[in-house]
Amino acid sequence: MSDTFSFLLMAWLDPQLLLLTALGTLAGIYVGAIPGLSVTMAASILISFTFSWDINNALALMVGIYVGGVYGGSRTAILLNIPGAPSAVVTAFDGYPLAQRGEAGQAIGLSTVMSVIGGLLGTLVLAGSAPFLADMALEFAPRDYFLIAVLGLLLVSTLSGKSLARGIFSVALGASIGLVGMDMVTAQPRLTMGSMELLGGIHYVVVMIGLFGVAEAFYQLHNLTKVPIKQKVDKIIPPLSMVLKYLPLSIRTSIIGVIVGALPGTGGDIASLFAYDHAKRTVKNPSSPFGEGAYEGLVAPETANNAAVGGAYVPMLTLGMPGDAVTAVILGALVIHGLNPGPMLMIETPHIFWFTVGNLALANIFLLIFGLTGIKVFSKVVEVPKALLIPLILVLCVVGTYSINSNMTEVYWMLGFGILGYWLKVFGFQMGPVILGVILGPLLDETYRQAMSSVGDSGGQFLLALVTNPLSLVLTTVIALVLLGQTPAKTWLTSQFQRN
Amino acid sequence: MSQKFERVQPGEKVFDWLLLLFSIGVLLEAYRIDGIPSVNSPGSFPVGLALVMLASSVVILVSHRRKRRDPRIRNALHEAQVFLHEHFQPHIVVFTFLAVAYLAAIVWASFYVSTYLFLAVTFIYFRHGRVVSSLIISAVAIAVIYALFTLVFRVYLP
Amino acid sequence: MFKPLLTSLAVAVGSLAMAGNALAEYPERNIQATIQWGAGGATDNVARSLTPHVEEILDTTVVLTNRPGGTGVIGMNHVMRQRADGYNLLYGAENPQLYQLMGLADFSYDDMHTVNIIGQGLVVIAAPADSPFDSLADLLEHAKANPGELRMGGTGAGGLPSTVLAMVNAVDELDVRNVTFGGDGPGITAMLGGHIDFMPLSLAAVGEQIRSGKMKGLAVLTKEEIEALPGVPPITQALPDIESFLPWGPFWGVFVHQDTPDDIKATLEEAYEQAVANQEFGDFMQNFGAEVLNLNGEAAEQYLDNWQSVTAWAMYEADAETLEATPEELGIPRP
Repeated sequence: MSDTFSFLLMAWLDPQLLLLTALGTLAGIYVGAIPGLSVTMAASILISFTFSWDINNALALMVGIYVGGVYGGSRTAILLNIPGAPSAVVTAFDGYPLAQRGEAGQAIGLSTVMSVIGGLLGTLVLAGSAPFLADMALEFAPRDYFLIAVLGLLLVSTLSGKSLARGIFSVALGASIGLVGMDMVTAQPRLTMGSMELLGGIHYVVVMIGLFGVAEAFYQLHNLTKVPIKQKVDKIIPPLSMVLKYLPLSIRTSIIGVIVGALPGTGGDIASLFAYDHAKRTVKNPSSPFGEGAYEGLVAPETANNAAVGGAYVPMLTLGMPGDAVTAVILGALVIHGLNPGPMLMIETPHIFWFTVGNLALANIFLLIFGLTGIKVFSKVVEVPKALLIPLILVLCVVGTYSINSNMTEVYWMLGFGILGYWLKVFGFQMGPVILGVILGPLLDETYRQAMSSVGDSGGQFLLALVTNPLSLVLTTVIALVLLGQTPAKTWLTSQFQRN
Repeated sequence: MSQKFERVQPGEKVFDWLLLLFSIGVLLEAYRIDGIPSVNSPGSFPVGLALVMLASSVVILVSHRRKRRDPRIRNALHEAQVFLHEHFQPHIVVFTFLAVAYLAAIVWASFYVSTYLFLAVTFIYFRHGRVVSSLIISAVAIAVIYALFTLVFRVYLP
Repeated sequence: MFKPLLTSLAVAVGSLAMAGNALAEYPERNIQATIQWGAGGATDNVARSLTPHVEEILDTTVVLTNRPGGTGVIGMNHVMRQRADGYNLLYGAENPQLYQLMGLADFSYDDMHTVNIIGQGLVVIAAPADSPFDSLADLLEHAKANPGELRMGGTGAGGLPSTVLAMVNAVDELDVRNVTFGGDGPGITAMLGGHIDFMPLSLAAVGEQIRSGKMKGLAVLTKEEIEALPGVPPITQALPDIESFLPWGPFWGVFVHQDTPDDIKATLEEAYEQAVANQEFGDFMQNFGAEVLNLNGEAAEQYLDNWQSVTAWAMYEADAETLEATPEELGIPRP
């Protein structure tokens, strides 16, 4: 027990580890904030970099980068409407309107505190119930992932704005983009129009940078000469009363985040979508309507995606299986450092587990410190004249896109999506459903076909499995209830009937 | 709400028709994967998605029956003019052109040179002169990108 | 901050000046190496643990970039289109040897120069710990009695599980439902949850699961029992005829443009030979569940040709319909 405790506090007491965690967190915030620079990439660069280091030092740096990076994505989402990472897409929905109202400082301040709360709750769940959660995650069969993806699709009504038909079109468009490339099962090219460059598919961050970053840059050209909004930067640290007010919501969304994060097939991006949807369904009187700068719409995704970090470590530390791309790279680092990550990791080297838990908590403390300092300077980004900001955004989008796979073709695609996004925006289409489709499309396709293959391509067997397996039955019921109770769908239907 | 006609943007109807055509294109491309798909084949989802796009774009077009143009717009020609005026303002066209030229230039003129030129030219254009400060800001931006991407993150830029 | 800037500026100017007589002291600047699989995968792990040793020997920086996608087509295509000056390397796995057969691309490793075949992975057919089968023979028997019932985890056409299945089917009969996952990781996770019945996997991916008792090995794809997995029978025990395909396994190698000047090729070959022989790297590979090969020149060519011929013909004999071309059309000799 005292051993456990000493491992837990190891990172807190060793000045070198303390420094590395701090450094990692700070670097992570910037990695996360810049679209295209991903935590996965930073962590894999660190592998060669920390090759000869002590394993604890390398892990401390990676934990810091991970925690900081997941949070950092919200910075640019709020300030520029360009999510730095897929898990911050949802943050832009309400964060950017807040910046437009001159409340970028408060928005960043609140999202920092909420990220830390989410991160700490996620760490707590990791420490307390990792083996239990891992066993639960293993219960999810391909058909259950399919049901989760279907549940995710129902969010379209939450994200569509006024026109559901446009929302559905956008989701299908996004999903088609997500399916471009080689078929996973047969290796046949799909929707590639004969191009070899497209065999590898279109990376969803490319779509994201195009639809959000470039489209926004073009859109802003309309008010090139408009004087930027003056940002209020006096009250950046949210008052305790505000934190307490959102605490119940943040606890609920943290739980969503940690569970979705622990499932090896889903991560922070899907967690934040579910959390946003949850907030929209349960909060009756948001501070502003959702999508127009509701603080609730900021709290939900930010707690969920940071809680998902703790969740992603669950399968990694208990089973040696990655919970997401970042933990996959960290597993690789363990291998290179001569450890054998697997189910025995927790038994043979329990210090890795407790060290990581303590380190995650520490990184969240640093996140609070670094997140709350420098907000004033950051908020000024919004005040930079558009004539300078717009070209710089485009350059950043180019560098960011190129960084993903070092592929120039993807940069052309990014610009193409930017122009498409501009026109979609002009004619009342929302970007949220497109991204929802890009993220969920491949998951739907993959899991549906796994589930079908598992039952020997029999549709009847497939449907039967959905209601005979307890877990699947729960998910199916939830979907049915959501579908029935979906107020926008209901009102839409009733309005259709009344009209005729 | 059902009583009042919704406003339609100039060009919206054309755009929605283009979406319909695009959906048909996706459907054809999806059909090419493996024809009429079975319950579990590479083409099942692409064909299904294309059909969803097709159906929803038809719904969008049908909804135009309940929408009207801005009464100040007199006819289709006038609508086209308003559309052009709104979305093809000179600075937007120039910026788009510069952006495309910039991307094309990266491959043969290297990233840093073309980025510097792109930033400098757009800054000067958008800010109506102010050459010196534009050149300086571009140089600072390039230095930051170099430090961050090439030195720290070792991203190999073309 | 300015020093590296100046140095690289100097290097850039220098390299411009030397463009005429390119063969100055190689390497005089950073080398770009492309990994054709994603971060955290086996190829990525091998590349990232080998490269620091190479950097030391060549006294330069090797910048690693992951360019995944299309079973590695994207990454390989990129390197082949770069200048043949030895500054662009490819870290690849076995897949390109099957591109032509599967119609994915019209090139293979024959179109590049092999710097080094670093090593080869061992393959295990694994099943969940509570599986009713204790050996491959049990499984084959059950599958024959209930064709098309067992669920095998796969990674898609041309992936390791489907190749192993093809080999088994070339000498025996195994009719299963093929459930495709995005990689070894998701497949193992599904197997831990009991959602699939068995999966051929690399030892690197599944060794720890077997040692911890969460899974069991039904057979190793070797002629003899291996040290790393005591008690797991060799596949020849259940299928003696499969011996003609062995030894077989996924491999990793380093490649460079075919038209690279000979002295640069030689420098690279020497550096990699030395790096792969490094004790520290050897320990890593052993821990990783892989075997160091360290082949170059003639031996490497032979290894590649043999691998291609064995695999292509096994796939052809098992299920010719799924292939885009026959091995004969491609001029791949029978093993």
